[in-house]
Amino acid sequence: VPTGGASLRPCSTRVTLEGVNRPVIDRIIRVDHAGEYGANRIYAGQMAVLGRSSVGPLIQQMWDQEKDHLKKFNELMVAYRVRPTVLLPFWNVAGFVLGAGSALLGKKGAMACTVAVEESISDHYNSQIRTLMEEDPEKYKELLQIIKQFRDDEREHHDIGLEHDAEAAPAYSVLKTAIQLGCKAAIFLSERI
Amino acid sequence: VRCQFSPPQRALQASAVLRRVSDEHKEPLASSPQQQFDSHPTDHQPEQEPQGPRPSYTGQGGQESEDYESEEQLQHRILTAALEFVPEHGWTAEAIAEGAKTLGLSVAAAGMFHSDGSELILHFVSQCNTKLSELLEQEQKQVQLGEAEKKPTDQFLRDAVEARLRMLIPYIEKWPQALSILLLPHNIPSSLNLLTSMIDDIWHYAGDQSTDFNWYTCRAVLTGIYNTTELVMMQDSSPDFEETWRFLENRVADAMNMGNTANQVQSTGEAVVQGLMGAAVTVSNAETSRTVR
Repeated sequence: VPTGGASLRPCSTRVTLEGVNRPVIDRIIRVDHAGEYGANRIYAGQMAVLGRSSVGPLIQQMWDQEKDHLKKFNELMVAYRVRPTVLLPFWNVAGFVLGAGSALLGKKGAMACTVAVEESISDHYNSQIRTLMEEDPEKYKELLQIIKQFRDDEREHHDIGLEHDAEAAPAYSVLKTAIQLGCKAAIFLSERI
Repeated sequence: VRCQFSPPQRALQASAVLRRVSDEHKEPLASSPQQQFDSHPTDHQPEQEPQGPRPSYTGQGGQESEDYESEEQLQHRILTAALEFVPEHGWTAEAIAEGAKTLGLSVAAAGMFHSDGSELILHFVSQCNTKLSELLEQEQKQVQLGEAEKKPTDQFLRDAVEARLRMLIPYIEKWPQALSILLLPHNIPSSLNLLTSMIDDIWHYAGDQSTDFNWYTCRAVLTGIYNTTELVMMQDSSPDFEETWRFLENRVADAMNMGNTANQVQSTGEAVVQGLMGAAVTVSNAETSRTVR
């Protein structure tokens, strides 16, 4: 419960909610928020293990971008009055464990995890862009712009991962498939609960 | 959410009859509605009125049709008129029938609704929630225009819950009955929906911007406060429900304290962890320096 009004501000950040397809936008923002939150925790886990290695600065850089993404989705969530997914505490732990676990396999393991996750996320953003374009590109212009930008950022992270020998990681294809399956499940659940 | 027990077909025919009745109503209602009602199976007009959006108790309005109102609007009008008779008849089909009579419709209008008065209660709750939202919106505008001071959170919550509960006062005698009806299994989805959106509204106007699990704890806490205060109000016989408002004040204060305590626990926990980490580092440094020597 917020105390002493410290975390409260007058609700002036509002978009017009009339005419917005609530169920669709609700899902999109909820799942994207969960995704960025998870990605944050994954990079946090990777930094905890590899923070002082040679790829430390690189991971830190990608992490900082994810922090910006999360901040943006926090704002959108309040503006569109979307509820966050109940599973946030779970993604908190699971993300960190995934990041730390993949980093314990070495730098290449961490890069492989990054490639897998970022690929899932970009595909996911792409399908959201398609959905919004089908709905009404004009009405959702701002949201579309944000998602397109973030999709490009995630694509960039994916490419960075590949550049840093992700494919040379131990059991790369198995690792990648497993992680992407987990991402699909996470997306499915976060959209709904 | 349409009640599941009255077949929509029958309701549609009934309201088509009522439309004709109210259109042709120039003479006293005594004879014609009965005849029309009895003969309606054969007499029934082939064209149905357009299916407006189902009466939804989450506050979405019906459509404005050109010359005649939609079924949903008609139902809203009947239910609103029926509220006046609730103190006398309770949340029943009798109240709805009386309400229909004041609008110049046949008492058979009550047949459009489920017999346990569910729709009447849900309509009332939905109306109260809308009024509360408008009130909070007004207050917010005043604060933004600088005409009023921004209230601290506990004050805001107290005032919002009090304002909402005061709307029950004209119906307080019969409200326990309403509460029990709202808890019937077929009503729970709608009543829960109304409750959660009201609580969400209150927090939204209070300025809640949480996007983590706090979103859920805030709302759960406020729901608890609201429900318990409502129950206290049912048994309160003090002048102007003073006891209820005092109870509310204490519960809100408890909730605020709980938040404070949670923060304190967290910061104490963090301090303890840091202390332990520091101790561990010191010990391991001492070990390494000893082995080096």
